[in-house]
Amino acid sequence: MKKSLWRSLLNSPKAVPYFFVAPFVLSFLLFYLYPFIATIQMSFQRIAGFGDVTFIGWSNYGRLLNEHFFNALRTTSQYTFWTILVLVPLPILLAVLVNHKRVRFTGFFKSALFIPALTSVIVAGIFFRYSFGEQATTLANAVTGLFGMKPITWLQIKGPAMFALVLLCTWRWLGVNMVYFLSGLQGISQELYEAAEIDGAGAWDRFRCITLPGLKPVIIYVITISVYGGFSMFAESYAFWKTATPGDIGMTIVSYIYQMGFNNFDMGFASAIGITLVILVMLVNLIQLTCFGFFKKDSD
Amino acid sequence: MRRITAWLLILIVALAMAFPGYAAPKATTLTFWTFQELHKGFWDDAVATWNKAHPAQPIALKTEVYNYDEMHNKLLVALQSGVGAPDLADIEISKFANYLKGKTPQLVSLNSIVKPVLSKCIKARFDNYAKNGQYYGVDYHVGATVMYYNKEYLDKAGVDANKILTWDDYVAAGKKVVAATGKPMTTVEVTEQWTFYPLLSQYGSDIFAKNGKVILDSPANVKVLTFLKDMIYKDKIAIPAPGGYHHSEEYWAFMNKGGAASLMMPMWYMGRFVQYMPDLKGKMIIRPLPAWKKGGNRSAGMGGTGTVITAQSKNKALALKLMAAAKLSKEGAIKTWTLLGFDPIRWDVWSDPAMKADNQYTNYFGKDIFNMLTDIKDEIGPTVITEKYPLAIDLIKKNVSFKALKEQSATPEQVLKEVADELRK
Amino acid sequence: MAPKKRQFRPATLVAMLVLLAFSLFTLAPFYFMLVSSFKPGAEMIRNGINVNLQPEIMSLQNYGALFTGKEGIYLHWYKNSVMITFFQTVVSIFLSAMVGYALAVYRFRGRNLIFVCVLVVMMVPIEILILPLYQLIVSIRLIDTYAGVILPFAVPPVAVFFFRQFAVGLPKDLIDAGRIDGCSEFGIYFRIMMPIMKPAFGAMTILQAMFSWNSVVWPLIALRSDENMTLPIGLASLMTPYGNNYDMLMSGAVLSVIPIIIVFFCNQKAFISGLTVGAIKE
Repeated sequence: MKKSLWRSLLNSPKAVPYFFVAPFVLSFLLFYLYPFIATIQMSFQRIAGFGDVTFIGWSNYGRLLNEHFFNALRTTSQYTFWTILVLVPLPILLAVLVNHKRVRFTGFFKSALFIPALTSVIVAGIFFRYSFGEQATTLANAVTGLFGMKPITWLQIKGPAMFALVLLCTWRWLGVNMVYFLSGLQGISQELYEAAEIDGAGAWDRFRCITLPGLKPVIIYVITISVYGGFSMFAESYAFWKTATPGDIGMTIVSYIYQMGFNNFDMGFASAIGITLVILVMLVNLIQLTCFGFFKKDSD
Repeated sequence: MRRITAWLLILIVALAMAFPGYAAPKATTLTFWTFQELHKGFWDDAVATWNKAHPAQPIALKTEVYNYDEMHNKLLVALQSGVGAPDLADIEISKFANYLKGKTPQLVSLNSIVKPVLSKCIKARFDNYAKNGQYYGVDYHVGATVMYYNKEYLDKAGVDANKILTWDDYVAAGKKVVAATGKPMTTVEVTEQWTFYPLLSQYGSDIFAKNGKVILDSPANVKVLTFLKDMIYKDKIAIPAPGGYHHSEEYWAFMNKGGAASLMMPMWYMGRFVQYMPDLKGKMIIRPLPAWKKGGNRSAGMGGTGTVITAQSKNKALALKLMAAAKLSKEGAIKTWTLLGFDPIRWDVWSDPAMKADNQYTNYFGKDIFNMLTDIKDEIGPTVITEKYPLAIDLIKKNVSFKALKEQSATPEQVLKEVADELRK
Repeated sequence: MAPKKRQFRPATLVAMLVLLAFSLFTLAPFYFMLVSSFKPGAEMIRNGINVNLQPEIMSLQNYGALFTGKEGIYLHWYKNSVMITFFQTVVSIFLSAMVGYALAVYRFRGRNLIFVCVLVVMMVPIEILILPLYQLIVSIRLIDTYAGVILPFAVPPVAVFFFRQFAVGLPKDLIDAGRIDGCSEFGIYFRIMMPIMKPAFGAMTILQAMFSWNSVVWPLIALRSDENMTLPIGLASLMTPYGNNYDMLMSGAVLSVIPIIIVFFCNQKAFISGLTVGAIKE
């Protein structure tokens, strides 16, 4: 009797979804909700050392109004903007190329483009850190030298530093995003293309009217995680400058959290920055998702 | 017969299992966290020495080497949450203040082992790790800042290093060197603190006054920073260090090829010469710093790493004894030189014959390193360290030298005022 | 499916040249790493980046040092990383695929709430949760265990989000057909839908393995003893602020890339065949 109840529960379309989502709910309650609440709580405290905690209301948030936080905010937003600008169109292009039936060696290209993602930033960072060294002989300066430019101290000037960051990010994530788009391309029916070809649509038209709309869910996904990835970027900055970057030029919000929380042992303030970051990213993504009509489609 | 042998064997095994206690006394395990592989070697040696001298109380040291940032964070998390900290740990000086924050520091006071030997040590090195009269850390070295000259270049320019007594002499000599060799006289760190900070300490100034007040923007400090700026842009005898600081890979490559004629760094930088600039072997000589005025201090104690015992240790008494033997004893002090190439915090060993014995450092720089040190032993001023020290060092690294010397986006007065105001908040 | 004649058009050539250029860009650092791993560390400091083959100074010494240095701890790190990556990948893919699928396919009370939670959690940087999470793991006695490293990330929201996005595009009529045939809901998922989701599994296996293999922040805090550490943490310990141990760093890095590349190639086959299956079906 009990067994059949169990079975009917497992088969009921009403109850089943809850079994499916249970792992997430459990892990959410245990490993995210509690620490998250603890962090919110800390953001209202002054943690002045070991066992020395006072409630101080909003003043950690008030302290956010300082030059370093604004620098971090600016750097992070610019970085996010550039990475999305590069890391959406370029991987789509590569995915379409790799997916093309006449292109050969696709296995090699896919692997070659993807492999950087498999390497830790710690390792890749060494190479990039060297390449952007300031002598005339480093890789970056050798390349710009070909165009008759003078050697640049890449990592100590704002613009070039941002370039180095975005390049490292592109190197790491190009292949990953390409894979996302590739799996999206598989979902587009081949018949559509054939029908379009019969109707005499050119390659560009086919791309615009079939490929892009078909990729829309994946594009939304990639932009969403890119916003998250961009705003929570830390590893790339760490690879170039460790935790202290000259004149804040490479300091991101998470490096600021890291500096305040660990280098200065100011966990309360660090928590406040973290909570602000979460709210910020949520807002940006909400706007982005609304623009793409994500929620509209969801509710129909 | 075979059967009897078998029984005998069983008996022996059973006996052995019943009385396991005949072996040597069980070693007490102590854990030690560090961010410096070399320090592991030093401590392994110290424990071996200890076990030889105290067979009744053997120690097994379990050392874990982490990345610099990661070790400090991990230790902070462990101490903050009350579990998981090691018995002993290395804490770098610019992070140390974090571990003394709050009403109850999570470190063990070392007064019982430090006080007896303090008169034979450079006391300033203990004050860096003290709070409310309690000493919490023992450093590996004095970190006396000195000038490393490339003798070949000085000879070419007809300059005698022994006659460079003041910074004015140094600038004058620098101009000769630049004219004769085309190489800059020196390099200035713009993304770390090892040029600005020792100079202001040598000047008799500091970041904080004794009472903890911020004096980073004092006229003396403005003068020091302006002096550095002038060396680069007015006298044109210095350049910003390639890579921004003296530990960048670019810098080692640059210096190894004979990039600059001299370099001001603490004694512990010797190891970097030996390891990363092998081509300069035999060319470099070490001299005291030029003084700001005749008779002024000719050095400054810079950098450092304090070994601490955490409050979570279950074997505090033993850890204290080991610490005393390893780092505060005469033998231990000598080992910091012979194994690590540091200037020991106990000055009474500086005249020991061991300090002149052949090793990779004397081979590289010559044998009278410690005569020179003994000469300047009373010219090493203390530095004031407060809770804001980690932030201050961070800002000096990131903003002060960089904005004033490299970007030139702010004058020395402006940038020092800006940072000092932030520290006062 | 007769193989088409491979015509060679100029456009195809251009496409392949573009792909080749990007491949060179992505592969260059590996070439550099590989070459440097055979050279003494001092060489790199003296001459900076240098990709020339110099047989006179190249040797296997750095690799030897890896296995003998520090009492062979490198092998421990390696083993730990392999184990953690394996379990974390298997568990997280299995669980998050189910969650993502349910969020896409079923209408149920609380669905939107859960989805919003997924999105929020995705945005929380781990750096700010470390302290409370550490206390939690200590209190449930999972500190210094594989489980302590794996459990908090057993249902990674990014993967849930990915599977949900993928499952939204799945043909719903298959589910209805399954129900008519009398399949249970789990049966529908495991027998019908999961095989269709194969490309998503292929991609996520690679991504999760990569995340797990390279993660540093959490394993460092959750693990305690040296021999339980993972590879990236071990490698990072070779770098100090005042000089890196380049000899071991480079050779260690090269070896650290290899298993993950193996995972990648194994999955890539499944991945590609999954794609072809999809192509034939339609």
